[in-house]
Amino acid sequence: MYVDWITWGIWLLGLVILVVWIWIPLQEFKKLMAQRRKKVQGKLQAKG
Amino acid sequence: MNFFDYLIVFGFMGLTFYVGSIFYQWVGSTEDFYVAGRKLTPFILAAVLTATNVNLYSFVGQAGIAYKHGMAILWQTWTGNMALVFSGLFVLPILRRLRIKTIPELLELRYSKGVRTFVAVIWVVRLAFWLGVISYAAAIAAQPITGFHSFTFWILIFSVIAIIYTMLGGMWSVAFTDVMQFVFMLLGALIVLPLAMSKVGWWPGLTAQLPPESLTLVTQAGIYNWKFILAIFLLGIEWACVDQGLLQRAFGAENTKTVARGLVLAGIITTPFALLWNIPGLASRILYPGIENADMAVPTLLANLLPNVILGLVVCGLISSHLSTISANLNGVATVFASDIYENILNRKATDREVLRIARIVTAITGIAMIVFAYLVPRLGGVVNAYLTIIAIMDMPLFIIAVIYGLLWKRANWQGAIAGYAAGALAGIIAQLHFRFDFNTTTFISAGIALLVTPIISLFSGFPDSHKIDSIWRARYTSEEEIRGNGVYHIVPKTAVGKLSLVIYFVGLLLFLAGVYLGSRGETTASLVATFGMIIYFGGGLWRAYTN
Repeated sequence: MYVDWITWGIWLLGLVILVVWIWIPLQEFKKLMAQRRKKVQGKLQAKG
Repeated sequence: MNFFDYLIVFGFMGLTFYVGSIFYQWVGSTEDFYVAGRKLTPFILAAVLTATNVNLYSFVGQAGIAYKHGMAILWQTWTGNMALVFSGLFVLPILRRLRIKTIPELLELRYSKGVRTFVAVIWVVRLAFWLGVISYAAAIAAQPITGFHSFTFWILIFSVIAIIYTMLGGMWSVAFTDVMQFVFMLLGALIVLPLAMSKVGWWPGLTAQLPPESLTLVTQAGIYNWKFILAIFLLGIEWACVDQGLLQRAFGAENTKTVARGLVLAGIITTPFALLWNIPGLASRILYPGIENADMAVPTLLANLLPNVILGLVVCGLISSHLSTISANLNGVATVFASDIYENILNRKATDREVLRIARIVTAITGIAMIVFAYLVPRLGGVVNAYLTIIAIMDMPLFIIAVIYGLLWKRANWQGAIAGYAAGALAGIIAQLHFRFDFNTTTFISAGIALLVTPIISLFSGFPDSHKIDSIWRARYTSEEEIRGNGVYHIVPKTAVGKLSLVIYFVGLLLFLAGVYLGSRGETTASLVATFGMIIYFGGGLWRAYTN
């Protein structure tokens, strides 16, 4: 079976970027959510 | 498109609206609305920048040029990516230290309030006009791809959701929808590439059926020749250093190191991505030769090649590319107007809450103006092209006064800045409209005149305010924020490893320029040398961003 290494090489590079850019921003987003939650809780406690 | 395709598209639109609107609660101040509270992290920033820079023009217009003129058009994106790396390493960290939100704000810090207002007004008009043009282009392109021929339907689909979520959540909404839209765009491109290539007999089939010049990256002759590469690289640097839509995202970075890393990563990931959307343009030339309007090359390919459901997914990717660009620019107009015009001139005593309300109202008004203008574009015809060309030319003098003289020459003053900007823009307009020079020559003329006039007028008028100069020059080295956070980013690295990375970066740049020079001589190795130089340049830049 013929494999076109150029096309699939470009495609694979794109796939790696896709996977990395789903995984890492998700982790970074979770951190931002946690920070936000902490900030809101701090404000609520200050009010209470 | 069939029922399932529409289901996918509307499901995606609903998801985008949901994700965009939940960030309404995150916006408590103008800082949140303009720059996401300056909390964006490197990978989020890179995705946001890429989503903003890649729009429907990339998938349809640029791939259409690849269809007609070959692969050399790739340099439009690749030199832009190189410019992002340059700006991320050397310019944007300085601007981030100043904690500004807009480029006009930099001009007040460096020159005067008058220069800020002058440029702010131009940018509001420029961005609003640009939004109308790209929305028109998107609605035109969507019709043949989907088979649903209604301009109004596609304009509304493209506009309403983006206007509402940008108005509600500002930069927070823009940032997180951008990350999601980046994933959809890339997914769409990944689906199309192997399908298109399998139809033309993969890479050997493509190279055998296209003329060799279509696959040459650096050419001696033709529209997209070596001169085009130099001119577009120069414009790319200008764009990466002063474009409001782009910079506002960078100002949202959590610190200066994140700015550098985010821009370098964005530049690198968009480079293979550009191949994913341009190669289908080349494949379309083999499969559907003789299409007169090159902009129809990729829509024709997609409409004929993709099975249902897959088509729905790819359309989501195309819609993503457009939504991310218009939401970014809507937020840009709102920020420039609210910060540089409303807060700075119209109502100096405005509270933060009032300014935030104005920013939201301006987002909505600009969105409506964008829709109205999209309807006017066909009636204006060639005027639109002329306007966009002039605007592109006018950006070059802005780069000269804001970055070249603003950050590098203390003696430049506001008189010189205004005169240099006006003279450069005027020279560009005359060169383009009267002498009919090509775009490359006009770019060099407008830049050259601004470079010449600014120092002459500055030297013949008073000295600039030394306090303003001091604050800008301090930002070239560090800021209180960085010292407190114990994370100083050194523009010139302190460590041996950092210095080595910078040497590699410049070797890459020289190799790239050598490749372009070889192209001007018609050497066959030019493309290889320029591309290899670009890869070395990116490698050095990435290493530099992660060392100090």
